[in-house]
Amino acid sequence: MARKNGIPPQLVRLVLVTLAIIALYFTARYFMTPETFGQFGFYRGASLNEHATRPLSFAGKESCRNCHEEALQLVSQFEHKTLSCETCHGPAMSHVIDPETPLVKIEDGSCLRCHRSDPSRPSWLAQISLDDHYESDSCTDCHTPHQPNE
Amino acid sequence: MITTRVIAVRIVIPPTNRTNKVKSSITRRKLISLTGKALAGFVSLATARKAKGAVRKFMVKTPAPKGYDPTKHKWLMAFDIEQCIGCGMCVQACELENKVPPGPTYFRTWIERYVIKRRKPGSSRARGETQVDSPSGGINGFPPTSVPREEILKSFYVPKLCNLCVDSPCVQACPVGATFDAPDGVVLVDPNYCIGCGFCIQACPYGCRFMHPETGTAEKCTLCYHRITRSLLPACVEVCPTEARIFGDLKNPVDDDPLMQFIEKNKVQTLKPHLGTSPRVLYAGMDKEVR
Repeated sequence: MARKNGIPPQLVRLVLVTLAIIALYFTARYFMTPETFGQFGFYRGASLNEHATRPLSFAGKESCRNCHEEALQLVSQFEHKTLSCETCHGPAMSHVIDPETPLVKIEDGSCLRCHRSDPSRPSWLAQISLDDHYESDSCTDCHTPHQPNE
Repeated sequence: MITTRVIAVRIVIPPTNRTNKVKSSITRRKLISLTGKALAGFVSLATARKAKGAVRKFMVKTPAPKGYDPTKHKWLMAFDIEQCIGCGMCVQACELENKVPPGPTYFRTWIERYVIKRRKPGSSRARGETQVDSPSGGINGFPPTSVPREEILKSFYVPKLCNLCVDSPCVQACPVGATFDAPDGVVLVDPNYCIGCGFCIQACPYGCRFMHPETGTAEKCTLCYHRITRSLLPACVEVCPTEARIFGDLKNPVDDDPLMQFIEKNKVQTLKPHLGTSPRVLYAGMDKEVR
C-alpha cells in the first residue's frame, strides 16, 4: 500500500479529500440553489411571478365601464375626462368583485385638493381662492363633478 | 525529503498513544456517518421543498397572468411636470395598492414641491434660492407654501419614483442577488432572499428605497408589477387626474402610443445623468434646480 505507482499515500489522501470537498460543494449547490435561479439572470426567476400575483386594490377604468357605461360616456365629454373613476371614488376592486361593497364616500371639500389656489400649480388648472369664491356649504350646490363645465 | 520525514514521525509515535488521541476526537467511522447524514439531510430537504412547491401549485389558485413573458416587454414611465398639480392622489393610491407602511418616511412614489425665489436686488444671479419640500411625500396634498407669493419667481411639483436605471447601483450593491433588473425593465426586490443589510438603500442616489419596518427587507416601486402584468396601469398612473404620468411599453407600442407621442413632442431629460446610472424614467419641462 505504501507506494503504489510511486505516488506517496498522503498525497493520494489529499487528492481524495479535495475531490470529496469539491463533490460536497457541488452536491450542496445542486440542492440549495433555488429552482428558478438563473432563469433570467443572477436571481430567482420565480420572484417575478410572486410579484405578479399580489392582490389588486384599484380595478381600472375599464372594469367600471362594464356596469357604468353611461357615467363614463358623460364624463368623457367634459373637462374631467382625463380622470379615472377611482381618482375620486377610491379603490374599487372589492366593489368589482362584490357590487354590494360600497365605495369610499367622497367628502365635502375634496375638490379643493386639486382646485385650491396654489402658486405651485400650473396656470391652466381651474383654481379657486376660498376668500373670493362664492360662498356655499358644498361645491356640489353649484357644480356637478361629472360635468364640471356645465 | 518531506516523505521520509513524515514516515519518521509516524514511527516515533507509539501505537497506543495514537489510538488514545484519536478516540477523543473524530473517528473515520464517525466522519463517514456524519457525511452520510448531511447528504441525506440535503436530499430530504430538497424533496420536502419540491413537495411543498407541488402542493402549493395544486392548492393555491393564482390569478397570475398566464402567458406573460417578461422578455417581450420593456416598461417605462415618463413625467410631464407642466401637468402635475400636486394633488398627491398618486402617492395615496400607491399606499393603498401596495400596502406601503404608514409613516412620514416610507414611499414608493412621492411628490416634491420646488419653490424658486426671486433674486435679491443687486444679486448677480438670475434667480434666488430654491426651497424644496415634501410634507409626508404629498400623500394628503400640499398645504400652502410658507414662501410669500410676491417672493416666488416660479414654483412647480415634481413626482418621483424609481428611475429604472440601466446600470442600477442598487443591483450592483446587493451582496446576495436579491435585487435585480427584470428583463421587462423593472428593478425588483426578492423579499425571500433579501437579508435586510440596507446597502441598496444607501446605493440609490434617488432615495427611492426604504427598509420595510415589519419585514425588515428593502422595498421600492415595482411599477405595480402585479398590475402591469395583467395589462392594467400602475395605480399612480391610473388615478393621476391630469395625465402627468405617462406609462407605456417600449416593445409593444399601441396606436397613438401616449409614451411615444410624449417623447416625440417634448424635450425630455433624466434625473442626475452625471452619475452614470443611465436612468430610464423621463421628465419633460424640468428646471435645472431639480435633482
